[in-house]
Amino acid sequence: MSEKSKKVSLPWFGIPKIMPYLKPYRRTIIAMMIMGCLTSLIDSVYPLFNRYALDHFVAEGTMDTLPLFVISYLVILAAQVVMNYISISQCGAIEMYVDRDLRNASFSHLQELSFSYFNQNNVGYIHARVMSDTGKIGELAAWRMMDIVWNGTYLIFVLVMMFLVNVRLALYVIMLVPAACLIIGFLQKKMIELNRRIREINSRITGNFNEGITGARSIKTLVIEETMDSDFRKETEKMRKTSVHAVRYSAFFSASITMLSSAALAIVLWQGGILTMQQVTQIGTLSVFMSYAMNMLEPIQMLIETIAALIGIQVNIERFTRLMETESDVMDSPEVIEKYGDMFSPKKENWEELKGDVTFKDVSFRYPDGNEMVLEHFDLDVPHGTNVAIVGETGAGKSTLVNLVCRFFEPTEGQILIDGRDARERSQLWLHSNIGYVLQTPHLFSGTVRDNLRYGKPDATDEEIMEALRLVSAEFVIQKMDKGLDSDVGEGGDMLSTGEKQLLSFARAILADPRILVLDEATASIDTLTEKAIQDAISTVIKGRTSFVIAHRLSTIVDSDVILVVKDGKIIERGRHRELMKKKGYYYDLYTRQYEEMIVNTVTA
Amino acid sequence: MEERKYPTRLKMVGHFLRGSKRWFFLAVIFACLVSLFELISPKLIAFTVDSVIGDQVPDVTGMVKTLLEAAGGTAYLKGHLGMIALLIMAAAFASALCRYLFRLFNAKGAETLVKTMRDDLFSHILRLPFQWHSENHTGDIIQRCTSDVEQIKMFLSEQLTSLIRILILITLAVWYMFGIHKTLSLTAVAYIVIVVSYSYYFHHKIGDAFEKVDIEEGRLSSIAQENLTGVRVVRAFGRETYEKEWFEKQNAHYTGLWVHLLNILAAFWSSGDLISNLQILVILAMGSALCVRGSLSAGNFIAFISYNSMLIWPTRALGRVISNLSKAGISIDRLMYIMNAEEEKDDDNAAEPPMNGDICFEHVSFRFANANAEALNDIDFTIKAGTTVGILGGTGSGKSTLMYLLDRLYDLPEDSGRITVGGTDIRMIRRNWLRSHIGMVLQEPYLFSRTLEENIRIASQKSDRNEVRRAARIAALDETVGHFAEGYDTYVGERGVTLSGGQKQRTAIAQMLIRKPPVMIFDDSLSAVDAETDARIRRSLQENTAGSTIILISHRITTLMNADDIIVMDQGRVIEHGSHDELMEKNGIYRKIHDLQYSQSEQEEDHE
Repeated sequence: MSEKSKKVSLPWFGIPKIMPYLKPYRRTIIAMMIMGCLTSLIDSVYPLFNRYALDHFVAEGTMDTLPLFVISYLVILAAQVVMNYISISQCGAIEMYVDRDLRNASFSHLQELSFSYFNQNNVGYIHARVMSDTGKIGELAAWRMMDIVWNGTYLIFVLVMMFLVNVRLALYVIMLVPAACLIIGFLQKKMIELNRRIREINSRITGNFNEGITGARSIKTLVIEETMDSDFRKETEKMRKTSVHAVRYSAFFSASITMLSSAALAIVLWQGGILTMQQVTQIGTLSVFMSYAMNMLEPIQMLIETIAALIGIQVNIERFTRLMETESDVMDSPEVIEKYGDMFSPKKENWEELKGDVTFKDVSFRYPDGNEMVLEHFDLDVPHGTNVAIVGETGAGKSTLVNLVCRFFEPTEGQILIDGRDARERSQLWLHSNIGYVLQTPHLFSGTVRDNLRYGKPDATDEEIMEALRLVSAEFVIQKMDKGLDSDVGEGGDMLSTGEKQLLSFARAILADPRILVLDEATASIDTLTEKAIQDAISTVIKGRTSFVIAHRLSTIVDSDVILVVKDGKIIERGRHRELMKKKGYYYDLYTRQYEEMIVNTVTA
Repeated sequence: MEERKYPTRLKMVGHFLRGSKRWFFLAVIFACLVSLFELISPKLIAFTVDSVIGDQVPDVTGMVKTLLEAAGGTAYLKGHLGMIALLIMAAAFASALCRYLFRLFNAKGAETLVKTMRDDLFSHILRLPFQWHSENHTGDIIQRCTSDVEQIKMFLSEQLTSLIRILILITLAVWYMFGIHKTLSLTAVAYIVIVVSYSYYFHHKIGDAFEKVDIEEGRLSSIAQENLTGVRVVRAFGRETYEKEWFEKQNAHYTGLWVHLLNILAAFWSSGDLISNLQILVILAMGSALCVRGSLSAGNFIAFISYNSMLIWPTRALGRVISNLSKAGISIDRLMYIMNAEEEKDDDNAAEPPMNGDICFEHVSFRFANANAEALNDIDFTIKAGTTVGILGGTGSGKSTLMYLLDRLYDLPEDSGRITVGGTDIRMIRRNWLRSHIGMVLQEPYLFSRTLEENIRIASQKSDRNEVRRAARIAALDETVGHFAEGYDTYVGERGVTLSGGQKQRTAIAQMLIRKPPVMIFDDSLSAVDAETDARIRRSLQENTAGSTIILISHRITTLMNADDIIVMDQGRVIEHGSHDELMEKNGIYRKIHDLQYSQSEQEEDHE
C-alpha cells in the first residue's frame, strides 16, 4: 500500500469531481474572480502614471495637473487595497471552508466504511487522505483558481496596454513569450519529477526516524546502532544528492528568467530608444514599456507553475474521490435506515431489545480481498446466553466468525440471524450498541481512564465504573495511578502495560452492559492470577449473555457450551469439551499436548 | 543539572553548520555579486535616456569615461543603440550566472546542513538511554526531527542568506540613489524604516497565531489518527456519531483559527500594498517636481524609479525574515532538547570480560523516575552459568524490569545493589559488549521495515541464507515462511505484510538465535504463540542452545517447569525460589498457580 505518486490524468484536472464541495461558496468564488480581474487591471495601470509623469510633468516642464494626478492615483490605490484585502481574506476563507468540508466528509465516510477497507489500507495511508489530500484540494479551489485569474488577466491587460501604446514595440516584446513558455515548461516538468523523488526519499527518512524511536528497545538489545546509523546515512546522502540535483534545474530556471526579462528590457531600450530618438514615442512611453517588459515574465511563470500544480493536484483529487466512492461492503438498506435511522441519527425509539440469539444459517463466506471460501454452508445455532469458544492455532482464522457476528463483514451466501431475524433487517448501530468487544491488541484512546471506560456508556457514573473495574479485578491499575480515574493513559494508552490495557478494555466492554460479548484472544498477556480472577468475573458476566471467546489456552474454555475448532481457516470440529475429547481429534491433540508435557516433565524431573 | 553539551543556540547551530559553512560563504559572495550586477542596468538605462537618446553631457568619470571615449562617445552610441542592448544582456548574463551559482552553493549548503542535522539527530537518538525513549512521545520527537529541521534549514539557507542579500542590495541601491538625488533618497529611506519595523511588528504578532494553529492542527490530526487506529473499538461500541461530532468540532475550531489568521494576513498584505504604493506616489510627484525644476534628469528619474522598485519587495520581506529569527530560535531550542540529552556512555575503565559466567543480582532495588513505589525491592539471587532459570510473576511484578536492568536498558543507581556477570559489575562492562552477549526476545518484538531475512540477520550481518533458515527452523518459523509467496524476501512492516503476534515473536527468536549469545532471555516471548507451537519451539530450543544461560520469563507454568531454577516474583520481590519440585513441595504461590493452570486438565483426565 505504498504512497507512490502515480501519474493521474482526469478530465479538466479533476475539478468537476470536487464541484459539489465548491457549490456552497460559488457566489463568493465568482465575486472573487471579478475582483481578481479588477486588481490585475489596476496593477497594469500603474506604469501609466510613470509615463504621465515623465511625458507630461518632466517633458513639458509643468506641474499643473498634479492634484488630479495625485487624486486619481489615490482613488485607484484605495480601490486596489480594499479589493486586495477582500480577495485575500475571502479566498483564504474559501480555502479553509472547503478544506473543512472535505475533511468532515471524508471522516464521516470513513466511519461508515466496512472493515475490509481498513484491512486493505494502512492507517497512515487513510490518515493522509483525511488530513493532507483535503488541504491540497482546498488550496486548489481557492488560491490556484485565483492565481489563474490574477496572472491570466494581468498578462492580458499588459499585452493590451502595450499594443495600445505602441504596436511595433509590443510585437518585439511578444516574440519572447513562446521562448519563455518553452523554457519554463521544460524545466518545470523536470523539477516536478525530481520533487516527486525527493518526497519519496523524505518519507523514507521519516520512516527511519520512526523506526529509530519506536524500535529503540529492540535496537539497543540487538546492538544494531551502527547498522541503523549507516543505513540512515545512505538515505540522507541520497536525499542530499537528489535535492542538489533538483536545485540545479530550478537555479537554471531562475537564471533563465533573469536573462529573458533582461532580453525584453534590452529589446525595448534598443528599439524603443530608436523610436524615441526619431521622436515617434516619448520617454514616458519608453519607461512604461520597460516596466511592462520586465513584469511580463512573472505572470507567465506563475501561470505555468499553476498549471503544473493543477496537474499535480489531480493525484490528490483522485485519491480523495476514490475514498469517497468506496462503498462499504456492509451497508444498511434504505428500508432499514428508514426505520432504525442511520449511523449518525439513530431512531432509538424503534430499536427492539436484543435478546442475543445468534443463528448461522447456511453461511458461506469469503473475505472481500481473498479468493478462497473460509466458511462453507455453515450452520450454528447459538441461543441467548450460550457461551461459544473458538480455538485453533495462531493465524488459523479464528476471528472470522466473530467478524461475522459483529457484522463487520457479511456472509457471501446464507444468513446470520439475530433473535431470529436476518441481521441485515436491523441497523449496524443497533447491533453494535449491544455488543461488547475486547480485542487481542487492546486499544485505548488518549485521555483519562474515565473517558476510556465511559466510551461504551457515556453517562456511566464513577460508581458504575468502579464496579466494572472490580468485576475484572482491575482496581489495582487505578490505585497505582496518581490521579485515579482522572489519570491520563497516554497516547494509545502507552502509559499502561499490555495486561493493564487489556483489563481496562475489558472493564470498558462490561460497562456497556452488552447482550453479546466478544473476547478476542483477550487473555493472552494477563498473568495467571489476574486471569483466574477475570475468568471468575466472566462466568458471572456472561450469565444471561451470548458470548464468543477466542482463546489460546484451552483450559480457559472447557466450560463453554460449544467449542469450535478452527484449522487453516475452516471449522473442523465442534462440540462440548467432553465430546471433543472423546472424539480424539485435533482438539484432543491440542488439549493433551499441555497435559502430556506436564506428565513427561514431572516423571523426568 | 549536568553541563549541557550545547549551552547556547549559537553553539548548536555552529555544530550543525560544520560541513556546510563554506558553501553558505560562497553563496553569500555570489549573492552580493548578483545585487551588484542587477544594479548596473538602471544606471545604463539612465545614461542611455539622458545622454544617448537625450543630449546631456554624460556624467561619468575615470575608467568608464575612457572606455566611452574609446568606443566613439555618445555620438557613436546614438547610431548603435544595439550596443547598449548588448551591454545590458552582458550584465544580465553575469547576473544570471552569479544567481545560478548562488542558488547552487546555497542548495549545497542547505542540503549538507540538513543531512548533518538529520544524521546527528538520528545517531544521537539511537544512543540515548532507553529511559529517555520511554519518557518522550514518538510523535513529538519525529516532529522535531522533521519539521523543526526543515524550519532551521529554511531559515539558514533561504532567510538568512536572503537577509544578507537584501541588506547588501538595500545598501547598494541606497548608495546609488543618494548619488542621484539626496532629498528623494531620504524619502525612500524613510519608507524602508517604516516598512521594516511595521512588518517586523506584524510578523512577530502572527507568529503566535501560527503556533496556535499548528497545535490545533496537531490535535485534529491525532483525533483522526486515533479514530483510524481504534476503528474496531469505535465500531464495536457504536460510537461513530460521537467520533464524528468530536472531529467536526475540532475541525470547525481549527478552521476558525485559520480564517482569523488569514484575515490578519490579508490586512497586513493590503496595508503593505498601501504603504508601498503611497511611497511610489510620493517619489513620482517629488521626482517630477525635481525634474521640472531641472535638478533631476529624466534618465536619472527613471533609474531612481527602478532602484526604488527594486527595494519594495526586499524591504517587505526583511520584516518577515527578522521575525522568523524567533521562530527558528524556537526550533533550535527544540533540537537542543534532543541533542543535549545525554547519550549512554561507558565508564572510562569499562572492560570486555568473558560473558559466560554466573549472573548475580545482589540486593538490587530500583524505582522509576516518576513512580512512588519501588519497582524492585532487594532482589538477591544467582543464575549459574549454563543453567536455565524461569521467572514467574504477575503483571507489574517487576520481572521485565529486572531483565532491562541486566541488559542496562535502565541503569542501576550507585547505592541500589549491583548486578554482576562472571564477578564483574555490569556497570564496568562496555554496554555494547554486554548487550551483544545477552540476547533478549521481547514480548512485543519490533520488526524493521525490511525483508524477513534482513530482519532475522539484522544483528548478525555476516550470516548467510542457510544460517537464517536454521535459526528460523529452530524458532518454528521456517514452515510459516514457506507459505509466503516471496519466502524470506517477504517485506515486513508498514509497506509489506503484517505478521501476527506469534509470527513476530518467532521472528524475534530467530533473530536472537542467529547471534548465538551466551545469555538468552525470553521475556514472555511465547505468549502470542499457541500451546502446540510453544511446546515445539521449547523442544527445539532445548536441543540447540546447549551451554547457554537461559532466562525464561512467563506466566505459563509449562514454559517454566523444566527450568533448573524458578523464581517467583510479586510486587518487585522474590517470594519463592527453587526448582519445580521444591516449589510444588512448598505448597505456595507457585503451587497455587500451577494447580489453577492444570486443575481442569487433571480433572478431565480423571474422567477419561
